[in-house]
Amino acid sequence: MTQRITIDPITRIEGHLRIDVEVDGGSVQKAWASCTMWRGIENILKGRDPREGWVFAQRFCGVCTTVHAMASVRAVEDALQLEIPANAQYIRNLILIGHALHDHIVHFYHLSALDWVDITTIPKADPARAASIADGVSTWPGNSHRELAAVQDKVKGLISSGQLGIFSHGYWGHPAMRLSPEMNLLLFAHYLQALEFQRKSCQVVGILGGKTPHIQNLAVGGVMNAINLNSLATMNMDRLGTLQSLLQDLIPFVQQAYFLDACVLAASYPEWFRYGRGVTNYLAVPDLPVDAKATQFDLPGGVISNGNLASVRTISDWRDQPIRAAVAEDVTHAWYEGEGLQRPWKGKTDPNYTDFREDGKYSWVKAPRYDGAPMQVGPLSNVLVGYASGHLLTRKWTDLAFNRISAMDRGQVQIDDMQSTMGRYLARAIRSAMLSDLALKHWQLLTDNILKGDDATYNPPQFPQHEVVGVGMHEAPRGTLSHWVTVDKGTFSNYQAVVPTTWNASPRDENGVPGPYESSLLGNPVADPGQPLEVLRTVHSFDPCMACACHMLDANGRRIAKVKVL
Amino acid sequence: MRDSASSPVSVIGLGNVLLGDDGFGSMTVEVFRCAYECGPEVEIIDLGTPGLDLAPFLYGRDVVVIVDAVAAEGQPGTVRTYAESELLDFRAQLRLTDHDPGLQECLAQLRLVGRGPSEVIVVGVIPERCAFGEGISRTVLAATPLAIDSIIRVLLERGLDCRKRPQPDRPKLWWIVNPKLEDGRAYADDAPLLTC
Repeated sequence: MTQRITIDPITRIEGHLRIDVEVDGGSVQKAWASCTMWRGIENILKGRDPREGWVFAQRFCGVCTTVHAMASVRAVEDALQLEIPANAQYIRNLILIGHALHDHIVHFYHLSALDWVDITTIPKADPARAASIADGVSTWPGNSHRELAAVQDKVKGLISSGQLGIFSHGYWGHPAMRLSPEMNLLLFAHYLQALEFQRKSCQVVGILGGKTPHIQNLAVGGVMNAINLNSLATMNMDRLGTLQSLLQDLIPFVQQAYFLDACVLAASYPEWFRYGRGVTNYLAVPDLPVDAKATQFDLPGGVISNGNLASVRTISDWRDQPIRAAVAEDVTHAWYEGEGLQRPWKGKTDPNYTDFREDGKYSWVKAPRYDGAPMQVGPLSNVLVGYASGHLLTRKWTDLAFNRISAMDRGQVQIDDMQSTMGRYLARAIRSAMLSDLALKHWQLLTDNILKGDDATYNPPQFPQHEVVGVGMHEAPRGTLSHWVTVDKGTFSNYQAVVPTTWNASPRDENGVPGPYESSLLGNPVADPGQPLEVLRTVHSFDPCMACACHMLDANGRRIAKVKVL
Repeated sequence: MRDSASSPVSVIGLGNVLLGDDGFGSMTVEVFRCAYECGPEVEIIDLGTPGLDLAPFLYGRDVVVIVDAVAAEGQPGTVRTYAESELLDFRAQLRLTDHDPGLQECLAQLRLVGRGPSEVIVVGVIPERCAFGEGISRTVLAATPLAIDSIIRVLLERGLDCRKRPQPDRPKLWWIVNPKLEDGRAYADDAPLLTC
């Protein structure tokens, strides 16, 4: 018998992401991803001054503020062919790394770990044994017997109070939860410790950006950070020192706790390397430029088709012509006016709402396509593109992850297994470990450049009297982000943002081809339709972020989401 | 640079400024910051819609005042002050994305590690409309002075210093000035009103 499950967050006044699946014989046969909130943001930017566009753009989304600000200034700089100083590249890169580490840590522990970690088994754990599991594998000091016993006491207190609070979301004891009590204790201890590191990564962004969220230091043409080694109020050795020590505190948590926890999860749930493959075309754009002209990058970009790593086409820089010609959006199944594929520079965002019609229009998300094909974006695309193109840092951390997993005696993981739900979790941890290495590198690049006597941070923009077009690319925590702008006589005449979640949460296109969320759910097991934990695992593996939250507290304490089984 | 660890008291505005009345919290704290002066122990900050990223700004605080739009029964524009126990029900939440407000979760997480704020007060307004690019409704705009009075009351009752600036700054409400939308809705012209 086919059962229909709808998971619909009925958040406050509007929801964001709705997932519908049809389950038959214990697995998903059909799936629909729908964004239930209109994103008309682009229309707000038309007619505005491009030098201020980033201030608006960073309110697109409450969580990924920085990334939109960055894509916006890069888009205008691209349109003007404006080069920015090397210091500006490094300062921007450090902000982006700080933001990404923060985002990945929060995703793993606070957004998705509890899909895999059953905290109700923690009282049964032996803290000494839990500490010994980590011994010899991790140098993380937060794995001590004493620390773990203290966390266990907290959880015991929570459970005996009968008030699990935010931890009572009901999937405890689900048959798909399989970690030992000791592993659950270890991971939950890191969940709590992560709060401290979430704060530190926030401070990294704050020191450079002036404020976080909503950094204030950007400008079309560079950054507004004044560099003067002799002034207290500017970027000086003191501030660089503070930055370095924050990074040195943060990195061990990423590489010795988060990275290894993701390996533990992968080793403990190996069947999740078989589910969630979905769309196997991957897109990543190069990021973290190491020179002023942005010709060399520390994160490689490229395109992989049909899951074949040998097919990788390198995107060597942001001036890559094929990507500019390949990206287009389809609105056949999205609540917008228009037909056929629209190029972003000509794109429109005029709403045409119908109800949720599974054979018609059913989402506010457009369907972006690359040469007509759906693409998966995100850390997995980063890792696959890097691995396929022989990028050393990607190889180093990916191979280390595979070695760790096989050392846990749970079989071998190959690069092809990464094309899965578990692969997306593991790839995010691999990317975080890589970004940690790169944080120190870019700190060094900035410091050396300043010590060399270069204090330039800004090149003023000049706006021509004719129309120019540009695209700003950024490999954001959730994947490839691009802002496409048309600038005419110093104002925006068009603005389109193709965001990572648009690629991944894409609805079907005019040919009925589903997007990555939708196709990754096919074949996904569902043991209990009333508790579709397995569906959440796959959806969460993408780190969904439906841009532009409407934000209201619910004074009536209503449930945020509901599961409806028909 | 703001050090998010230095001030024991925070006045936090939440909301999306591009979504009409949803931006009430952000607007109100900016108007408050420009019209009133507090001691160095009080940080006044607009956080937008941080979701779980709210946690670093609650970490280890003494008093936290949150200004936001609230979904509650009543007339749009009504301002209510809630103690934590009145507002927050730490009940089950199924989270699909990390956009949901996150206040309950952040507080619960921080309390578990012993770093939660001692007191949380929410100054809420009931919105009229929260739509893209439509600006704040007149009804809700008119509630701003009431909300500011509530913030001041909370601070003074706790022995904190808060006084009117002799020379108020002009609030930076950049999102309110929209050349395309000068059609009688509440925009720039209404903003100076709020500085009194």
